[in-house]
Amino acid sequence: MKKLLEISLGVVTSVGGFLEVGSMATAAQAGALFGFQLIWAIVLGTICIIFLVEMAGRFAAVSHHTIADGIRERFGFNAFIWPLLAVLLVNFLVLSAEIGGVAIAAEFATGISFRWWALPVAFLAWLLLWKGTFGLIEKGVSMLGLVTLCFVVAAVMLRPEWKEVAVGAVPSLPHHDTAKYWFMAVSILGASISPYLFMFYSSGAIEDQWDKSYLGTNRAIAGLGMSFGGTISVGVLIVAALVLGAHGVNEVDDYNQLPLMLIPIFGFWGFVLFVASLAIACFGAALEVALQQAYLVAQGFGWNWGEDLKPRDDPGFSLVYTLTLFLAAVPIALGLDPLKLTIFSMALTAASLPLTVVPFLFLLNDERYVGQHRNGVVSNAAVIFVIALGFVLAVVSIPLEIFGGT
Amino acid sequence: MQLLRDILDKQVVDREQVKIGKVDSIVAELRPGKPPRVTAVELGSIALARRLGPAPARWTAKLAARLSGKQQARPHRIAWNKVRDIGVDIEFDLDVRRTRIFAWQDWLREHVVGRIPGA
Repeated sequence: MKKLLEISLGVVTSVGGFLEVGSMATAAQAGALFGFQLIWAIVLGTICIIFLVEMAGRFAAVSHHTIADGIRERFGFNAFIWPLLAVLLVNFLVLSAEIGGVAIAAEFATGISFRWWALPVAFLAWLLLWKGTFGLIEKGVSMLGLVTLCFVVAAVMLRPEWKEVAVGAVPSLPHHDTAKYWFMAVSILGASISPYLFMFYSSGAIEDQWDKSYLGTNRAIAGLGMSFGGTISVGVLIVAALVLGAHGVNEVDDYNQLPLMLIPIFGFWGFVLFVASLAIACFGAALEVALQQAYLVAQGFGWNWGEDLKPRDDPGFSLVYTLTLFLAAVPIALGLDPLKLTIFSMALTAASLPLTVVPFLFLLNDERYVGQHRNGVVSNAAVIFVIALGFVLAVVSIPLEIFGGT
Repeated sequence: MQLLRDILDKQVVDREQVKIGKVDSIVAELRPGKPPRVTAVELGSIALARRLGPAPARWTAKLAARLSGKQQARPHRIAWNKVRDIGVDIEFDLDVRRTRIFAWQDWLREHVVGRIPGA
C-alpha cells in the first residue's frame, strides 16, 4: 500500500517534470501545421526518456551517486567540463523559456505585458526554493500540474479519428514544408528527452533517500510517469490539430494564438484552464531547472548540497539557483519572445544530447557503481539507440534551425 | 588500486561524512631508486584549473590571490596518511571546519547568503 502511494506520487511528480513550455509549444506547433503526422516524435521521445529516467533512478538508488557525480568521477574533470558547460547553457535557456511561459500566462490573465512578470515570477520561484523543502517542490507543485490533464479530456471530447491518431504514431515522410517538418520533429525530441529531466530525477532519488528497495518503484515511476506525460503532450497535439488547424491557424508563431485551443471545447473555462495549465506546468519546470543548475554545479565540484538543508548550510548551492533564476529572468524582462526562445532552446537541447547520454552507457555498466544491477541487453540497446539518435540530432538540429526554424 | 581510476575526481568526505569536494589533483613524491609515493591530494579551483592548462592555472591563481589573499593562492592539500576509507567516496580523518577548504563558503554565508532573510 505504501509502495502504491509512493508510485502514484512519483507518477504525478514526473508528469509535472515532463510537461513544460517546450513540450506544449512544440506539440501545439506540430499539430497546427502537420495534423497528427508528428505524433510519432512524441512517442519516440517518450520511449527514450523512459529508459534514461529508469537508468538515472537505478544509478542513484544503487550507488547513492547522481548522474552528474558519476560523469565527473568516472570520466575526470577534463571530460566533465563539456557536459557541464553544455547543460548549464541549455538549462539557462530552458529556464528562461519556462519563466517566459509563466509570464505569458500572467499576461493572458491580467493584460499586463509579460515583460513585467519575468522578475516577479523569478522571485516567487526563488522564494519557494529558499524557504521550501524538496518534498514541497516535488509533490506540491506537481500535484497542481494535474490540471494539464484538461488537454487529454479536450482531445477525447473532440472525438478525433483514432485510426488517424494511430497512423500518426508511425513515422512518415512529410507532404509539404519538409525542412520545417524535420525541424519540428527535432524540437519535439529535444523537448521530450531533456537532460534536466533525467539529471534532476537522479538528484531527486538522493534527496528522497532511495536505496535498492526502490528499484521496482523506480521502474514503475519511470514507465508510468513518462507515458502519462507523453499522453498529455499527444493530447496537446491532437487539440492543436483539430482546433487550430481547423480554424486555419497553421503557423503558431505568436503565443497569442495558443489560448484559443481550448475555447471551442470548454468555452470561457477553456481559456482559464489553458492559462492555469501553462502557468503551473512552466512554473513547476522552472523550479526543477533552477534546482538542477545548482545540483549540477554542487555535484560536479563535490560541495555539500540538498534542497532540505537551510541555505546557510549549503551557501554555494543556494547561491547558484539564486543567480540562475534572476539572470534567466533578464532576457524575458528585456522583451525576448518566449515562444521563439522556447523553440530555439528545444533544438539546442537536442543538439547537446550526446554529451549527457554517452556517459550512461559507461556508468550503468560499471560494477563499482551499480554492482549486479547493471544494464541488461535491452537497456544497453536502448542507450545505444538514444546515443545514435542524439548524434543525428546534434548534426541536423543547427542546419534545420536555419532552414526550418521560425 | 589505480590512482587515476580510483582516486582522482572521486568525492571527498570528512569524518562526519560532510562532502568537502572532489579529488582535484594528486601529489606524488619522486624517490631515487624507488617507485613514486602519493603524499597528498589537492582540492580547489586552482588545482582544477591546472588540469585545463598553464594559462587557466595562472588566471585562477591570480584571481584567488586577489580575492582572498596570498595564502589562498595555492590549492588545499590533505595529507595522504589521513585517508580512512577508499570506496566510491574517499574519507579522510579530518574535520572540514578546522581547515580553510570551506573558507569561501563561510565568506558567502557571512556576507551574502546569511544576509538574505530566511537563510
